Amino acid sequence: MAVNRRKRLRTILVNGAVALLTAVTLLPLAWMVTVSFMPRGESSRFPPPFWPSRWSGENYYELLVRRLIDGAWFDYRIMPALWNSVLIAVVSTALGLLLTVPAGYAFAKLRFTGRERLLRLLIAALVVPGQVAMLPLFLMFRELGLVNSYAGVILPSLAGIFAILFVRQATLRIPDEMLDAARLDGASEPRIFASIVLPLLMPIVVTLALFLFLGSWNDFLWPLIVLSDQHKYTLPVAVAGIVREHAADGELMMAAAVVTTLPVLALFVALQRFYMRGLLGGSVKG
Amino acid sequence: MTRQERTAWLFTAPVLAVIALVFVLPTALALGLSVTDYSIYALADWSALRFVGLGNFTGLLSTPLFWRALANTALFAALGVPMAVGASLAAALLLHDTTVRWAPFWRVALFAPYVTSVVATAIVWRFLLNTRFGLINYALGLVGLGPVDWLGDPHASIPAILLFVTWKIFGYNMIVFIAALSAVPADLMEAARLDGASRWGRFRHVTLPAIGPTLLLAAVMSVAGFLQLFAEPYVMTLGGPAQSTVTVLYFMFDEGFKWWNLGQASAVALILFLAILAVTIVQTRIGRRYEWL
Amino acid sequence: MTAAVERAESVSRRGVLAGAGALATAACVPRSGGRGLRFWAMSYEGDYAPLLMTAFTRATGLDVDVQSVPWTAAHEKLLTAQAGGSLPDVFMLPAGWIGEFAMIGAIAPVPAPALVADLVPGVLAPARVGARTYAVPWSVAPQVQFYRRDLLAEVGYDAPPQDWAGWRRMGHALKRRRPDEFVFLMLLNWPGALLGMLFQSGARLLRDHDTRGNFRTPEARAAFAFYLSLYAEGLAPVALSTEVQDPLAAFGQGRYAIWPSGPTTLLDLSRRQAEIPPDRWGTAQLAGPRGPGPVPAINACLCVSAATAHPAAAWALVRHLTSAANELRFQRMIGTLPARASAWHVPRLAGPVIAPFAAQMRSVAPVPMVVEWERIQIEVQLVAERIVRGLTTIDQGLAAIDARVDAILAKRRALVEAGAIA
Repeated sequence: MAVNRRKRLRTILVNGAVALLTAVTLLPLAWMVTVSFMPRGESSRFPPPFWPSRWSGENYYELLVRRLIDGAWFDYRIMPALWNSVLIAVVSTALGLLLTVPAGYAFAKLRFTGRERLLRLLIAALVVPGQVAMLPLFLMFRELGLVNSYAGVILPSLAGIFAILFVRQATLRIPDEMLDAARLDGASEPRIFASIVLPLLMPIVVTLALFLFLGSWNDFLWPLIVLSDQHKYTLPVAVAGIVREHAADGELMMAAAVVTTLPVLALFVALQRFYMRGLLGGSVKG
Repeated sequence: MTRQERTAWLFTAPVLAVIALVFVLPTALALGLSVTDYSIYALADWSALRFVGLGNFTGLLSTPLFWRALANTALFAALGVPMAVGASLAAALLLHDTTVRWAPFWRVALFAPYVTSVVATAIVWRFLLNTRFGLINYALGLVGLGPVDWLGDPHASIPAILLFVTWKIFGYNMIVFIAALSAVPADLMEAARLDGASRWGRFRHVTLPAIGPTLLLAAVMSVAGFLQLFAEPYVMTLGGPAQSTVTVLYFMFDEGFKWWNLGQASAVALILFLAILAVTIVQTRIGRRYEWL
Repeated sequence: MTAAVERAESVSRRGVLAGAGALATAACVPRSGGRGLRFWAMSYEGDYAPLLMTAFTRATGLDVDVQSVPWTAAHEKLLTAQAGGSLPDVFMLPAGWIGEFAMIGAIAPVPAPALVADLVPGVLAPARVGARTYAVPWSVAPQVQFYRRDLLAEVGYDAPPQDWAGWRRMGHALKRRRPDEFVFLMLLNWPGALLGMLFQSGARLLRDHDTRGNFRTPEARAAFAFYLSLYAEGLAPVALSTEVQDPLAAFGQGRYAIWPSGPTTLLDLSRRQAEIPPDRWGTAQLAGPRGPGPVPAINACLCVSAATAHPAAAWALVRHLTSAANELRFQRMIGTLPARASAWHVPRLAGPVIAPFAAQMRSVAPVPMVVEWERIQIEVQLVAERIVRGLTTIDQGLAAIDARVDAILAKRRALVEAGAIA
């Protein structure tokens, strides 16, 4: 029937549009990967090549492997930066969750004096750009001896105002009756949090964990300022150091870009079911 | 103190302490720094520090680069927010259509750019935007449009960076809008369709009001984000060409960490804060008028 | 044996002795059980410095951790390191920054006069602040012009003219021959070319004890006019280094015939000999208004941090790196020319390629010794870029530069007026 044919046409058009959009969106990332496997100098040609003439791992070798030349070690120090990033991101995420999830619950479900006022202050603080605090924070950290240290990088990322509000928003949906019933049964507040609320919040916690990890991994400006020792650099800082000078070595730069992007991308593709639910619904089972 | 209060303080005190230490205290210090002439001379000798009142602010007003940075940032926000929010909304509408198959796959694919690192993707885009060897000019050439000097022409540099930024961030708001679109009351839609409303009519009168609050929130956060643009100009264009991509934050970073004029840099930071505050207030005022808040 | 070989032999013997002396001194440093030193250098110096460290480590047992800092981030990295108390033990500074870092107490004065003896003339002055020397000059990098022999031969030139009028004439001849290419590889965010022209035309860029800008003079105007004319007449590209990402490839492909640059380009050219064979290029002194004139050189010095925990070891490392033998080794590796006068007696440095560097080395422009000079340079180049792009006129640009420089020097002016600085 005409309606069915129109519907089929529409299906083809819409799906085609979506596919085209996705192809265009993923093209830069795909190109990043193929160029990183090209032999040196091949990408600076017109028309720009999309496929390597031969697949070569030389860029990754040069980027990642410590080479001994004439008795001296040469190293871009990308692998140490990778481990630094992993360490800092994992610690940031763990501590961040530890600090913000209970706080979010407290702001949603626990009654205490000053709760509304503090909440309003937190929301107001969202408007203030973090960079205002950056310069004096550096001077403060200098006095505290935290400059050029992992703690100096991790500490500012723990001020998770957005995380608190995010957890609070999700926790509001838990019915009060459930908690009151547990209180009547004589359970202590921390116990209620740990055994009733936390399991219900799992999708939110996982989503938050993923985004905390993402934020810490991709954080660029503050580590750039605080870390001066190349051995402590995180991945974006190390790559930024190379990129501004080695602009001519396109293939090498693409390899660096792949190394920076791939871990988090893989993580997000693998765990997409969890955070998609967290972002799309924010809803809590039960 | 009741049991709840005790637990509440136990739960909130740590994070509030951190926020006070790394956020509230430095912001107050920034206010203090901005009325001094802290510069490299003060790094050498504390006693050279002088209180200058509003001197930094008036000095900024007579610095042409500061005005250029303000203009660039305003242009970024004015062009970028509609572009980014519009792209997210369009993508969300497309993906939300009932005829789409394998929606979860498209969702993740379109979300992918958001999780990448700015530094890494700026490298890729710098290559893509290369005047001679870039894929974008190649594609333009295929449809007969002349090559654009993306990163070399001061008039094309802002659009170039906006292309990059839009590509990178549209996935996040797209997901947010998909969630909002799923919450549009289905019976209202059905009623509108039965009443014979056109597709556009349905969008305007049913969908738009329903996702209004989400749209406003996304716009507010987008504006704040664009006003704080830094990493893209830093990695891709070094603020050029002809300082056409110097943003307020880039100016502040240079002033503060490259030349160590912390007094003037703090003044810039405060001006940025006031700008974001003003824009947010205006937006919420508009939102309240349309009862979206 | 001929005199030359004898000289070479004696030099190499002297070099070995100097090297041995350095190692012996280094060996006198008490071994701190492998606790190493930290060393920062920029760009090529940083990339290749590890090769010089092996001998030092063998002699003293101290590991040297070398970190290479990109030039574009060097100033901020060093300042934040100083502010954060994490400066390395030994680091490289361009001569222009020594006054600044001495003032903020980041570098220690040179303890032994022997370290700064036997230097090329003129190279020590920037390292002295007041009565003390704060850095040991390591390398000199005078600017010259690299030119394509074959392209110049096509229009009948053996070597580029050394006065501005002749230079421009040659440029036009080259442009007529190849209208699609440019002649001079001068990019709009490289301050060296314009600054050289300003000094060559004899402009005094600061006045009143170096507290105010002095750019509205006929000499400065002449330099700006010449600089602008090269772009306006299509002889130089209106482009930044973000667009011409590989200048060497461009020079090799004949897109530019003249490239004003420094000694490290010698390294680049030798690395890519396959693209540009050595017989295709040559070097000559930069052209000045009426013949070659004084041009600022970008000399590098080594400094020891004032807060280092191992001062003796640090100075031993400095002595090791600045020995004539090691400076010559470095020259072979990366092209920068030695600051030790005795190193120049090697026949390799007397050849036709190095001769223009040596000649230019003898006429170095005196750069104002103000802490803000680095910033002023960059601001001048930014205004020059705007002039070239037609966004402002020369006179407006010069007035803007003066206003900007006055603002930058405001604090210095206040301190000079208060008598805190000479």
